[in-house]
Amino acid sequence: MSNGKKITITVTRYRPEQEDEPVEQSYDIDFQDDWVVLDGLNHIKDHIDGSLSFRWSCRMGVCGSCGMMVNGEPKLSCAAFLRDYYPGEVRVEPLQNFPIVRDLIIDMTDFMDKLQAVQPWIIREEEKPVSEGEYLQTPEELKEYKQFSMCINCMLCYAACPVYGLETEFIGPAAIALGHRYNLDSRDEGQERRQHVIASAEGIWECTYIGECSVVCPKDVDPAAAIQRNKVATTGGWFKSVLLPWGKK
Amino acid sequence: MTREHETEHKAYVRPVPITWWLHNRRYFLFMIRESTSVFIALFVLVYLYQLFLVSRGAEVHDMFQETLRSVPFVVGYAIVLLFALYHSITWLGLVSKIQIVRIGRLTIPPFLVGLGAYLSWIVASAVVACLFLTLKVGCIE
Repeated sequence: MSNGKKITITVTRYRPEQEDEPVEQSYDIDFQDDWVVLDGLNHIKDHIDGSLSFRWSCRMGVCGSCGMMVNGEPKLSCAAFLRDYYPGEVRVEPLQNFPIVRDLIIDMTDFMDKLQAVQPWIIREEEKPVSEGEYLQTPEELKEYKQFSMCINCMLCYAACPVYGLETEFIGPAAIALGHRYNLDSRDEGQERRQHVIASAEGIWECTYIGECSVVCPKDVDPAAAIQRNKVATTGGWFKSVLLPWGKK
Repeated sequence: MTREHETEHKAYVRPVPITWWLHNRRYFLFMIRESTSVFIALFVLVYLYQLFLVSRGAEVHDMFQETLRSVPFVVGYAIVLLFALYHSITWLGLVSKIQIVRIGRLTIPPFLVGLGAYLSWIVASAVVACLFLTLKVGCIE
């Protein structure tokens, strides 16, 4: 039931078959106090303009599909309440720093390629047979990486990162944080395989520590800390390899 | 690896405006922090020039010292000091986020790590100040 309030949602439209560059389109809608931006967009699509295109899935901040720029800030549109913007206008744009495929849908291929490059999965030199049981882990070992395992690949950190916008080669915050997550996992043996990507010029050294990636992260993952800790560890490793006779492998 | 790849769509790539750092308060503060290094570099250049003048004799050096006591230089140094403080305080504030300190199985709480960094900075600054003041008194005597 509507609360009698109206709000204007201005949405970026880009239909490549009819426009050379994005335009804006405004919709005035009645909304309820418990509506989030995604509810507003779904209302527009269902009742006003069925051609509006955007991604969404779970509506509960888990799937990471509905990331958009809401009034210039990268947000999960399922977690941004319209009442927080009322009586002002809500401006919804596709995630910054990504090519726009259509309306609010971005092309995430680059992110997927970079995510795959850091091999964000458990790597074992030799898998033990199933009959030997699972790989056990203590609560302390779990605590080491748990924070970084909360990433939902929503790409808000990429949209918040000016370095990623300016330097297309940058591996980016989420991919590095996820690589770091597996490096910290006591069951993993793949750190050296990831190192040539994470510690490359396009990896951690591209980051200038603006820190906005951690500010916008809806899951408090703190990718900026992951990147800086990798810088410290990599630098320490390099000094050890140079200074200590047994440091070279 | 690039983000150039083949798609069926004519994807639109938005240009990053040169004023990107003015769009967000935190971007702006970041740029201020980065720009502080320019002022600190200028200070270091003046200091190196001063050291060079020592090799040219006491008279030349003293003349330059007089110049450094002029209002423009004093104002310049005050600005450099402000930027140096801003850079140091914000940089040390990040230490607790980056550096995990462990003693045995105990992980030191981040605020203590940060506090340790600030205290170390204050002690190091005091030692350097004492060193310079002692040297100066020694030279005068």
